Amino acid sequence: MIQVPVERKVLSENDRVAAKLRTRLDLVGTLALNFIGSPGAGKTAFLERTLQMLPGGTSAGVLTGDIQTENDAIRLARHGYPVQQITTGGACHLDARMVVEHLREWPFEEFDFLFIENVGNLVCPTSYDLGEDAKIVVLSVAEGEDKPMKYPGIFRKAELMILNKIDLLPYVPFQVALAREYARQIHPGIEIIETSSVTGAGFGQWLEWLNRRRFAKLAAAAAVSEEAEIPVEVPAGA
Amino acid sequence: MHEMGIASSILEAVRKEQRRYPGCRPVRVAVRIGEFSGVSTDSLQFCFEAIVRDTPEEALELSLEPAGGDELDIAWLELDDDAEKPSVDQREVTV
Repeated sequence: MIQVPVERKVLSENDRVAAKLRTRLDLVGTLALNFIGSPGAGKTAFLERTLQMLPGGTSAGVLTGDIQTENDAIRLARHGYPVQQITTGGACHLDARMVVEHLREWPFEEFDFLFIENVGNLVCPTSYDLGEDAKIVVLSVAEGEDKPMKYPGIFRKAELMILNKIDLLPYVPFQVALAREYARQIHPGIEIIETSSVTGAGFGQWLEWLNRRRFAKLAAAAAVSEEAEIPVEVPAGA
Repeated sequence: MHEMGIASSILEAVRKEQRRYPGCRPVRVAVRIGEFSGVSTDSLQFCFEAIVRDTPEEALELSLEPAGGDELDIAWLELDDDAEKPSVDQREVTV
């Protein structure tokens, strides 16, 4: 009997595919965002409003994951951007391979933004890297303020929390300050934007966030390609 | 909830590792599970038993070790090196 050390991540195959995609996106400066939230948190409506408000000339694509139906893709496709539904057929999350397979048909390297709407679930999608620049957690005020405490994994990994459906605040007992406090207890550096996809509240701030991240990514991509374009000196006599 | 996917990733990794040790049969694989990994150990154990059933790895045992953070790593693999080990002569014949 022999025991051999393996020491590799269980999801190393997923991580490898994700890293490869990330390298490609980094080269061209496409900003990829992975939206994670419970079913009904308002991810699709939030993305619809985002697509409506993107400045003219913006290039973007949306992948939307669900266990069944093309319903979300149909909703999102009304806004003039390429959309693909990823039907997982039972799986509770998207993985990097599904994303790469669906990107194959798209000139995604020309996109400014790649929006990925994950399957509605606060647990499983957290473990799967999709090659994104940031995970964004969407929490609605129709849920409990203590979601960050109940599902710490995603709130720890998300860079931004969208506190959504704030138009409902007059009708629900949700305490915004408490939700913010819980989120910061789990992840002190998390950014928080309060939004309503119905009234458009908070979308100015959200579009600023998008632009800031996109410019940072473009600057990084430019630095990478400058480095790559340094002419290689041919040794004399070669 | 995604334990089925995790279980099949573990089995895939075992098969990959096993190829480096021809003639050895995998007996036990150890996986470290962080408390924040989002994986339920009971459910993972159940899924693993289900996916190895009726495969050459049917007897493969999954040993789960608690760990910190969101760790989800395969620690080691135990192989039976006496099993079906081809003798030098046999190998020469098959080449």
